[in-house]
Amino acid sequence: MKNKTWLQSVLNIYLIEYALSAILRQKYKNFFILSIFTFLTFLLASVFFITNSIKYELESTLEALPQIIVQKIKAGRQDDMDVSAVDEILSIAGVSDAVARVWGYYYFQNAGVNFTLVGVDEYENQYKNSLEKIVQKFDFNNEENIPSMIVGQGVKENMSRNYYKQYFNFIKSEGTLKKVNIAGVFDADTQLESNDMIVMSKDEVREIFDIQQTKATDIVVKVVNPEEINTIASKIRLMYPECRVITNQDLQVSYQNIFDYKSGIFLALFIVCLFTFFMIVYDKASGLSSEEKREIGILKAIGWRVDDVLKEKFYESFILSFFAYVLGIGFAFAFVYIFQAPLLRNVFIGYSELKTSFELPFVFDTQTLFLVFFLSVPIYVAATILPSWKVATLEADEVIR
Amino acid sequence: MIELIDVTKIYEVNKKESVRALSHINLKIKEGELVILKGSSGSGKSTILSLIAALSKPTSGEVLVDTKKISKLPDNFSSEYRRDNIGFVFQKYNLIPNLSVKENILLPLVPLNLDAQSMHQMSESVMQRFHIEHKQDVLVRNLSGGEQQRAAIARANINNPKIILADEPTANLDEKLSLHFIEMLRELKASNKTIVIATHDPLFFGLDFVDREIQVHNGSLVL
Repeated sequence: MKNKTWLQSVLNIYLIEYALSAILRQKYKNFFILSIFTFLTFLLASVFFITNSIKYELESTLEALPQIIVQKIKAGRQDDMDVSAVDEILSIAGVSDAVARVWGYYYFQNAGVNFTLVGVDEYENQYKNSLEKIVQKFDFNNEENIPSMIVGQGVKENMSRNYYKQYFNFIKSEGTLKKVNIAGVFDADTQLESNDMIVMSKDEVREIFDIQQTKATDIVVKVVNPEEINTIASKIRLMYPECRVITNQDLQVSYQNIFDYKSGIFLALFIVCLFTFFMIVYDKASGLSSEEKREIGILKAIGWRVDDVLKEKFYESFILSFFAYVLGIGFAFAFVYIFQAPLLRNVFIGYSELKTSFELPFVFDTQTLFLVFFLSVPIYVAATILPSWKVATLEADEVIR
Repeated sequence: MIELIDVTKIYEVNKKESVRALSHINLKIKEGELVILKGSSGSGKSTILSLIAALSKPTSGEVLVDTKKISKLPDNFSSEYRRDNIGFVFQKYNLIPNLSVKENILLPLVPLNLDAQSMHQMSESVMQRFHIEHKQDVLVRNLSGGEQQRAAIARANINNPKIILADEPTANLDEKLSLHFIEMLRELKASNKTIVIATHDPLFFGLDFVDREIQVHNGSLVL
């Protein structure tokens, strides 16, 4: 036992070498298993990666939603609200803030996308943190007194592709143009929330959409105690029966409905993956070939112990399945985060249509990696070792005879 | 010393059918002795070898090697016993066809996890001794019958066993190769190994270095 390194004394390199040669000796069969295993791991991991990204995006979006939104409904469609309602709502006990929002969707025909124009007043409280950050970071009043705006990354890209690199010409409601400079680009926490957003002063938005100074698109309400959101929403409904009062819970349900519907499809895909995987496992577990049985018999006959045989089979199945696992995970990472899950991404099309573009954010979750590992590698290893154990515990004479 | 005491071996073919391979056998083989077990196919010769090698257990009776009851050994101890004491040359050689000669010869040493230098020295020594070193990298499936047999004998000797068992070693060889094998046997006998050969090949009968020839018939020894 001389000249052995620590690793050699812990791991039997010759057994591993033998396992590798056993894999190569049945290269066609093992290549087939490797391909199927890699594909299934890839599918499984891709589903989990996409789910993680969507969950992350959804949770970030839900956190940013206003607690209560009050919209005026006229003849069944949304209409501008009187700004004076802000003071009345603020008088309700439990309301900490109410902000009249001026915003709207602006359709940019050249790109075929909608931008969300959001008006802010630097001297007002902003109704969400992301806007607060933007207002603090950028200066909307430049020296030349030219209107300016801060745009999301997606908007910037869309405008640049259509020759608007420094400014953009908005078409106002009466048909004339309004030139607004691009003063900056912001990276928000989530693309879902902000990729299509343009932030400018309320006055500019009013001018583009022709909203009077006494009017607002809607009013967002903050309450002191989140437990009282529904109570306060009911009070607002009583005060303004012509208005629709939407709570963040209502919005969460509608977002989650979309997500759950999609995750249902993925669940089905996941089950198909597992089913196929177990079919392979079942085939493997149902027995060894006569050649494999004979080999185990020979090894026993020349002095291998049962545990030597099982160790070799463990190495053989682990090397094959772990290699397939690493390949599958690698492909899934590239597929989801580099190529943005083509084909599978189409399953999310309903979701992505909510916004101009939607990229799957990178979420590194070790739990997912472990989950995929435990759903694949140990099952295959066990399915390989069990029939080998059955044969290895028989009398060697019986096996090779 | 190898000792079989009142050994009976019955193979269960299925739940209803069984075959009595050996019936109340008593046999003693001294250390360094070369014994030929002769008899027709199905007489029970191979079963005796199998019991001495602890490849199977007797239905009744005892098999002792150096006073150790090998017929009672648990499976893992049987393997260790074979690895340390037995070199078995099987009738069909039982080599792994897609491995090279050297890899096949080294197989019994794989679980021992010896250092590379020792493994190399042992394999070189045994390959030279049985004249197969020039084929060491050739896959076994590409060897002739005689070369396969030499590889099998080399493998059986890699662990320098005290006991060599050979089951119909010349069954697949022509006369010239069979005579060559007999010469190898003579060398092994000279190294004081205990050798038991099961054969019905007349070439083995009446050899000057054979200590005993024992006739096996219908599962019994004809003394």
